[in-house]
Amino acid sequence: MHDIRFGAEEILARQLELAEANYRFLKGKGVRAISVMGAVGSGKTSLIERVIDRTKPCGIKVAAIAGDCAGDDDHRRFLARGVPSANLNTQDECHLDAHLVQHALESLSLDGIDLLFIENVGNLVCPADFPLGAEAEMVVISVTEGDDMVRKHPKIFAQTDLVVVNKVDLADAVGVDPQALVRDYAAVNPHGVAVLTDARHNRGIDDLLRALAIECTSTQW
Amino acid sequence: MHEYSVVRELLSLLLPRLEGVPGAIETVFLRKGELLVLSDRALQGAFEVLAAGTRLEGARLSIEPVEARLRCPSCGYEGPAERLTDGAFHYAIPILSCPRCKGEVEVVSGRELAVDRVEVSAPEEASPAVGA
Repeated sequence: MHDIRFGAEEILARQLELAEANYRFLKGKGVRAISVMGAVGSGKTSLIERVIDRTKPCGIKVAAIAGDCAGDDDHRRFLARGVPSANLNTQDECHLDAHLVQHALESLSLDGIDLLFIENVGNLVCPADFPLGAEAEMVVISVTEGDDMVRKHPKIFAQTDLVVVNKVDLADAVGVDPQALVRDYAAVNPHGVAVLTDARHNRGIDDLLRALAIECTSTQW
Repeated sequence: MHEYSVVRELLSLLLPRLEGVPGAIETVFLRKGELLVLSDRALQGAFEVLAAGTRLEGARLSIEPVEARLRCPSCGYEGPAERLTDGAFHYAIPILSCPRCKGEVEVVSGRELAVDRVEVSAPEEASPAVGA
């Protein structure tokens, strides 16, 4: 019996290198990329739409990558808002990865773009292990998912520094206290920032912009 | 369920390195950071399925957990993370904050997934000659 030593060779090294390359590419173009994760139906696309609308009068140019297992529904929603978008179908993979994002970046015209939203596949588990090369990450949860969502997925929340609790307008209707989610999040991530939104009625969007350090104070929107 | 794509990466790393190595591959030793959202059971299952028909068919996958370790740029602390042991969370979650000064930290370890070594049996051990 003998051993072949690998000296702790990193299996995810290729992914990490690609994420680093995406980060450098975007930095070079002057684009801030924000990775958006969250469960199916949490309101990721709606929030990005609201940010697009809100930042338009400030002259901020936004682009998007719409990640989904199949279809182009989110992609079409971004295009309808007048922003460049790349549709990224994972063909049943449960997460985006840096390689897929690299291809999407090749097909997007990023000249003059300030902000790029990379919307992941709806999932609170797998995206946590795959950095995409974004400068900032956020996780969206909606109150309709229940007030135990943070407890059920502690690792992604412990490692993501911005959480958006969306659909707060429905909190009473579903009997969920949004503050319970905020408290659990503070327990697993003492440095995290939580923002409450109601994307449907355009509430809390300015708080989200502040949390993302997007400067836009125009009142015309 | 991203264990299959991770095991595919593992095999593409290992198989070219094992080409021409005599003997049977007994065990692949991995080190897995506790901050990864990867299930040991699913990794084992994916390994069994994807290794079939390769040099690694029948090999054992041994997964050693690696604890999260942090470094604090503010106070210089370097060591393990504090753990949230609140019963509502069901298991002790490492908190990515400095246990000493409560400042923001860098993660030193706990996110790695690495091949440590592969145990190979010598050809004569693997197939003893009849009557020897």
